[in-house]
Amino acid sequence: MVVGASVRGCQVAVIGGGPGGYLAAIRLAQLKKDVILVEAEPSLGGICLNEGCIPSKALIHAADFYSATKTSAVMGIDVEGASVDMDRLIDWKEAIVQNLTGGVKFLAEKNGAEVLHGRARFKGERALEVDTGDGMQEIEFEQAVIATGSSAFFPPGFEPDGDVILGSREALSLREVPGKLVVIGAGYIGLELGSVYRKFGSEVTMVEFLPELLEHHDEDLRKTLSKRLDTLGIDVHLGSKATAIEKGKPSVITVERDGETFTLEADKVLVSVGRRPNTGDLGLDAAGVETDDRGFIQVNDRMETSVPGIYALGDVVGGALLAHKAYREAKVAAEVIAGEPAAFDNVVVPAVIYTDPEIAWAGMSEREAKEEGYEVVTGTFPFRASGRAMTLNAPEGYVKTIADAGTKRILGVYIVGADASEMISEAALAIEMGAFLDDLAGTIHPHPTLSEGLLESVDAALGQAIHTLNKGQ
Amino acid sequence: MAFTFHFPDVGEGIHEGKIVKWLVAVGDAVKEDDVLAKVETDKAVVEIPSPYDGVVLKLGAPEGGTIRVGDIFAVIGEKGETIEGADAAPPKAEEKAEAKSAEEPAAEPQKKGKARRPLATPHTRAYARKKGVDLHAIEGTGKGGRITDEDVDRAAAGGTPAKAASAAAPKAKAAPAPRKAPAGRIEAGEEGPVEVVPVSHLRKVIAENMTLSKQTSAHVTHVDEADVTDLVALYKNAKGKVEGKDIEKLSLLPFFMKAIAAALKAHPLLNASYDEAKEEIHVKKFYNFGIAVDTDEGLIVPVVRDVDKKGILELADEVADMAERARTRSLSLDELQQGTFTITNIGPLGGLFATPIIRQPELAIVGLHTIQEKPAVHEGEIKVRKLMHLSVSFDHRIIDGAEAARFMTDLRKIVSAPELLMVKL
Repeated sequence: MVVGASVRGCQVAVIGGGPGGYLAAIRLAQLKKDVILVEAEPSLGGICLNEGCIPSKALIHAADFYSATKTSAVMGIDVEGASVDMDRLIDWKEAIVQNLTGGVKFLAEKNGAEVLHGRARFKGERALEVDTGDGMQEIEFEQAVIATGSSAFFPPGFEPDGDVILGSREALSLREVPGKLVVIGAGYIGLELGSVYRKFGSEVTMVEFLPELLEHHDEDLRKTLSKRLDTLGIDVHLGSKATAIEKGKPSVITVERDGETFTLEADKVLVSVGRRPNTGDLGLDAAGVETDDRGFIQVNDRMETSVPGIYALGDVVGGALLAHKAYREAKVAAEVIAGEPAAFDNVVVPAVIYTDPEIAWAGMSEREAKEEGYEVVTGTFPFRASGRAMTLNAPEGYVKTIADAGTKRILGVYIVGADASEMISEAALAIEMGAFLDDLAGTIHPHPTLSEGLLESVDAALGQAIHTLNKGQ
Repeated sequence: MAFTFHFPDVGEGIHEGKIVKWLVAVGDAVKEDDVLAKVETDKAVVEIPSPYDGVVLKLGAPEGGTIRVGDIFAVIGEKGETIEGADAAPPKAEEKAEAKSAEEPAAEPQKKGKARRPLATPHTRAYARKKGVDLHAIEGTGKGGRITDEDVDRAAAGGTPAKAASAAAPKAKAAPAPRKAPAGRIEAGEEGPVEVVPVSHLRKVIAENMTLSKQTSAHVTHVDEADVTDLVALYKNAKGKVEGKDIEKLSLLPFFMKAIAAALKAHPLLNASYDEAKEEIHVKKFYNFGIAVDTDEGLIVPVVRDVDKKGILELADEVADMAERARTRSLSLDELQQGTFTITNIGPLGGLFATPIIRQPELAIVGLHTIQEKPAVHEGEIKVRKLMHLSVSFDHRIIDGAEAARFMTDLRKIVSAPELLMVKL
């Protein structure tokens, strides 16, 4: 075929090599499509692998491990002289990141997807222009998948400066533990990284604009979390807004609450107030792809945008900004492109916050279920009643199951406690399968495990708990 | 966020109705299941309930007006909200617009105040999509109303335990048929609606190549008719005797490829190219055949090399592999280049004969046309014979009609007498 010097064709162009994009590219290649995966950064994996999920979990594990040396005395283990060498910690984290991003590239290429590094922009409904750094490459495609993700948003005056003000990216690469750390935004990133640096010895203060931590979630959850933050020694200012910063040694942050003003001192300031879709520089107008007023691309349950043949998924379409939501959407998009009758019809997108203790949920909170008009029945099991939790020296938290009072169908599960992140999948499967309380109650859970907590909470909802007292008893 | 409520399919094949009376006005607060209007269809007057809680922002038709299934029936939103964009881009099943602020991972985007999801496992949901069954439209027979695979089977077979006429039940939104190629968007043209389809890269390349060829070569097509009764018999006989996977892959095409290679050896000018700039003819001493492959997005022509040196099974294997890889676009660039001659096998698609366009810079292309049983004179008697048309389009700048006719006569003789093919292999 005659192909112009700088124009090439492909069946599917995938823009963005984060979790959604690389999975879509691999799946499309498996489905025998000719795929070009365009990634602006030098390595694949997106925010998740490079400066999000994975590196933060490395630091959280290290902080918990270090922290455990201080609580092990009760088990007769005295650890003296434990210290943190941030240099070695960050090197360890970076080795993990490199291992994973290299692995993703290997998988993409072995499956037959071509990886092209450069910044993509739509030139029309069927063409992209990629700035590869040493020239423009035009790609004409039959279908395109937009998976460009999101990036951190910084209020004016609080942009990362390479010194005092940090975004999550910078906070995951500090080579020194800051003396005083102020965290602006007590969402999951703020809570996770604030706790990490507190455990490493920083004085940590959080400033949250909303009047409550983790709004929309259950009161019990907030109580457990607040108590734990208190124990850790983290100050939290709710309903407060950081309005100005005067950089220096230390820097001084002005905070407003209920019309009053106070100041906080900081050596470093972590700003994590929200994320925005990466749609601004994509040339979406040239293709005719529509976004909402916040820049998120509008898609249907087949991940189709307003332009036939162009699909979008992951953070860039909004909803829960989570890698695993993107994974699922990417599979749907790839299969739709291959002509299969796929659709994103999931009932739940489980979520995890890696605080201490971990918080995980699948489905509706009690509050949400009631707002949906359900009459609910709930059952709670506190881990302080779990033998396994005691032997792990981790008695904080609980499992709460929310079900429809009439049919007893499970609507939601909240887990707060050690390894909540690992346990929530059982609840997600149960809800996705449309399980009833007795489906779970009739399933043998191994003993002694934390996962028995879910069984016990289900039994409690049925009024037949064994290891806690039932309501009215 | 305002919800646009489209006039639902109320069943029984009714596709339009007349608004008898609106029971709400713009600005009224409504609750889910409150009756919005009475609508007369040609069967009955039905009450249409609201699928959402909210405030009525817009009514889709005046009292006494006609409304069709799918038309906007009403827009329901929050107080003070405008209806701008209420009917914009396709809303995701989960209602993206419902999603919480971008700040933090909101809980999964649960819809509010809308018809509840059908209760079915992920397996059953996928199964229903494959079968084209809308789970909203059927009643589950499993525990707690769970929809089972058997319920889906029954619905697919037509014997659905139809859901009690909930007028608001959205229908037929499951499983849009997979499309072969991305369709365009419908635009209102001056003379009527027009589907505007963006052109793919492949289509552009085809368009360029075809135009170039028509502008470059002096196309003439010569057609002949061959009696391939014996060749088809030989092929069928062979297919019955080969073993294993050879049975599957053996086709008639490689027999013709060998025949054409033999005819080209006698008429080398057809296996050549013309370099206009240098005013030279390049007669190729190798036989690389382009095989035209029809794919969803358009024509692709992979090249099978050294046809004269390969066995029939080997060619069959290569053609099948390349055709499959053309469809999945996994051919490498060099598998599309260095052809010396091209074959287009349009016979299976029907027709008498066609006049194919030469692939530049080659000088000729053969079209293989439909094999049909026809009465023909054979050894002095009228018999039912298998006949087919063969066409050769050639570039008259270089090849004269007489040479093309001689080539075609030779080719006809070879395919009509397989023993001749044997001795020329």
